[in-house]
Amino acid sequence: MGIKIRQADIHDIQAIQNANLHNLPENYLLKYYMYHELSWPQASFVATTYDESSLDEEINEDLKFEDPKGDTAYIRKGEKIVGYVLAKMEDDPEAEDKTPHGHITSLSVMRTYRRMGLADRLMKQALYALCESFDAKYVSLHVRKSNRAALHLYKDTLKFEVSSIEKSYYQDGEDAYAMRKDLVLEELQPHLIDGDQEVDDFEKDLLEDL
Amino acid sequence: MIRKPILTSKEDQNFQEALKLYDQKQYKKSLKLVDQNLKKHSHAESLTLKGCINYQLGNKSECESYILKGIEKDKDNYMVNHLAGIYYRSIENYTESAKWLKAAVDNGSPNKQILRDLSILQSQIRDFKNLTTSRQQYLDFQPGYRANWTGAAIAFHLNKNYNSAYSTLTKIETIIKDHLQESDMYEQSECCLYKNDILFDAGNISKALEDLEKDQSYIKDKLAYLSYKAKYLMILGNSKEASVIYRKLIQRNPDDIDNYKNLEICLGTSDWEVEKRAKLYEKLARFYPKADVPKFLPLVFIPSTNKLFKSKVSEYILSQLKRGVPATFVNIKPVLKNAKKLKIVEEIVEEFYGSIGQYDPTVKLWTMYFISQLNYFKAKSDSKFLEESMKWIDLAIEHSPTLVELYLFKSRILKTQGKVVEASEFIDQGRQMDLQDRFVNSKTVKYYLRANNIDKAMELISLFTKLDKDAINGCKDLHTMQVNWFLTESAEAYSRLYHQYQEELNSLPEDTDEEIVNDLKEKVDINKGLAIKRFLAVVKIFGIFVNDQFDFHSYCLRRGTPRHYVQTIKWEDEVHSTPIFVRVIKGLSKICFEIYDEQKVKKEEEPIKIKKNNKKQKKAKAQFLKQKEDLIKKVESEKDDSDPLGTKVLNDLVNNSNGDIIDNLLNLTSTLINEAKDYKITWELSFKLNLIKCKYILCLQALKNLKDKIDEDELKQLIQTLSDQVSADETTNNAIKMVVEKGLASAFPDL
Repeated sequence: MGIKIRQADIHDIQAIQNANLHNLPENYLLKYYMYHELSWPQASFVATTYDESSLDEEINEDLKFEDPKGDTAYIRKGEKIVGYVLAKMEDDPEAEDKTPHGHITSLSVMRTYRRMGLADRLMKQALYALCESFDAKYVSLHVRKSNRAALHLYKDTLKFEVSSIEKSYYQDGEDAYAMRKDLVLEELQPHLIDGDQEVDDFEKDLLEDL
Repeated sequence: MIRKPILTSKEDQNFQEALKLYDQKQYKKSLKLVDQNLKKHSHAESLTLKGCINYQLGNKSECESYILKGIEKDKDNYMVNHLAGIYYRSIENYTESAKWLKAAVDNGSPNKQILRDLSILQSQIRDFKNLTTSRQQYLDFQPGYRANWTGAAIAFHLNKNYNSAYSTLTKIETIIKDHLQESDMYEQSECCLYKNDILFDAGNISKALEDLEKDQSYIKDKLAYLSYKAKYLMILGNSKEASVIYRKLIQRNPDDIDNYKNLEICLGTSDWEVEKRAKLYEKLARFYPKADVPKFLPLVFIPSTNKLFKSKVSEYILSQLKRGVPATFVNIKPVLKNAKKLKIVEEIVEEFYGSIGQYDPTVKLWTMYFISQLNYFKAKSDSKFLEESMKWIDLAIEHSPTLVELYLFKSRILKTQGKVVEASEFIDQGRQMDLQDRFVNSKTVKYYLRANNIDKAMELISLFTKLDKDAINGCKDLHTMQVNWFLTESAEAYSRLYHQYQEELNSLPEDTDEEIVNDLKEKVDINKGLAIKRFLAVVKIFGIFVNDQFDFHSYCLRRGTPRHYVQTIKWEDEVHSTPIFVRVIKGLSKICFEIYDEQKVKKEEEPIKIKKNNKKQKKAKAQFLKQKEDLIKKVESEKDDSDPLGTKVLNDLVNNSNGDIIDNLLNLTSTLINEAKDYKITWELSFKLNLIKCKYILCLQALKNLKDKIDEDELKQLIQTLSDQVSADETTNNAIKMVVEKGLASAFPDL
């Protein structure tokens, strides 16, 4: 599909901010994205387009030089950010629960790229990283009561549970569900969650039976 | 030589007391004492402190003069130095601030905390050479914190002194090894990986690999561990082992295409038969049935002529269409750059559509949507397909009139047809079907801006912005929240409006009523002013982005994220190469060149006498002022905006109030020349500006950079322009002329 999921890096943050501004009403200054990247650099992921037409030998593109598109979604030529998950560890010294745990600050996918399972894949990577790199024992997030698509993703696909309802959590007065999910590293490996039947045996030569 | 400030005891007491009050933010009381001192003597420390106090009291015009007086009186006084450093830091003149803080240290200040502040400033201004000294000195002062070791290592690393960086990190590791707490382990992991980065940068790959394995138990970031290891093994030629690591990486994240590409390099697939390569991906697809890459990538490398292509692409597309995946076209689009593949895909989908009756109605719908998108794609090379695309989207909308996606797409076709107003109105219908979704709102806003309907765009985007107190729309919030896409699009809309009114103005017959003329002139100025203002708002936001790193120069050392800090430094160094920034400079410079051209014409014209207003005009003026007030409320970019319509900024440019307009533009362009070297526009601007300034050697440099970015005819023309102007120029000396001519001849021997 020409979309890849990878860890976010500092070069992505302007385009992440752009995606957030396009998709959601809760927005942040760039410095807050920097703060995420420089505090929990392993935790956030992006979905980007990529252009691999160079792998197609039949294409002899006329290589006329063109400047990159002046579009805020693009981080470089052919690569635009269409979705992201911004994740962190709870670092509020006032927080009641001292158990190390993660928090999903923001997650969104551009509408034209929805219903492809991108949010799900982004979340799986982020949860795995929070657990592996930061020993998060669980992860929490907030979701608008009216956001049924997100609720479905968290509840049914990712197995989060509603822990409480926070009244007028959002600026416009809407309530939020506070949700959480316990994290166990072994259970979070993407290929295990997906229930893939055949598993690559690294002891074996990959080319053996080709 | 360390020298104490010489003070009489009374003054000394007063000053110390004043300093204490200053630190406690009791600025007025502090000022009283300082003024007491200054009544009798011109006293260096008190003078400097007064400058700082005035700054804090908001008396901004009377700060630097006092600082300078203090320095003049006693420039080797560390207290004076320190205060000057503090002052310059608060006005964000980091270079000056670093200079004076360094002087404070050099003049023997006992306050070692200055070193910390100094190193932050040196990092900000990229004075890495002096940074190593201050970080090392601070480390010597406080070796009990790991952060200080990390800080010194970073300074060495940035200064390309890899050995010292490495040994600093190794030393603290040895010291701390047996004292690590659970809470230190993340920092430990990152520092180990950072040590590895330094070895890699130093080119010592085998040592890097050796350390990586030695530190393995400390490394919590297994993704980094595996990626580093695989990369090293590949460089060291051990592709067999590397291939296994890439398989592990694929297992961790089967949606990252880079892992597959690297795996292929390790396996040496470049001389394989296509069929074997396809088999490899079939196998990988069995391991990762939900991943897209193993299914998608073969569609790229299998040639259209191979019968495998048709069967695979058919399976890929039809399985998605049958499941009703809306993004099916987006998924296959990258493959379609290949015209032969596009043809095959088209045939497959056409055939599928012929048998569509047997499927669920949504399958039909998404297939029609697919065919519309396919024709839109084809229209890139032949616009006649736009009609076909429109036909299919209309069919789809007829089939499902409430699906927002279809509205988004149809308005895109309309926009491409140049029907920007229809496009904006149509997408707005879609928006009204899903008022909660900000994405549709954003797209609608963009379309209204493209149709120059800025009011409507502002009204709609304000549904999702924070409304500041007393604000009638989200305009201020859009500035605060750094919504660069909106600011840029609105700047461009204002710019189009200004050109539109300008054209109207130019085409008025000679005897047009003065009122009409003045009204149009005002419209031209307001839109031009606002265009510049919005463009400059983005420039200002990029200034904030540059300043944002300031706190991280110390934060990352404590937090233990040196690897990502170093990346951030490099990113900041090129932040002005972000495509949107370049677009803004492009838009802004266009207007500036137009102003410059007008300036040239005006110089030749007689100055226009301003006629006194008569009664009728006064009345019109009053009405106009009312309109203007309403407009101002809508477009203010900050609270109590002193120049809401950009009138001042425009007049300053027109009258060269802040220096020559071309100099100002050169100043803006310099960030592109330093950071966005790969852009064509950077060098086109540089050429044009320096030609006006008769800086021919810089023109030559621009041409050299344009060589592989523009076509030969264009280049030839520019060379001709330069060489014509150089030979006609009688004010430039011959030596420079020679350099340019020779430079042209050697850089472009064939042109």
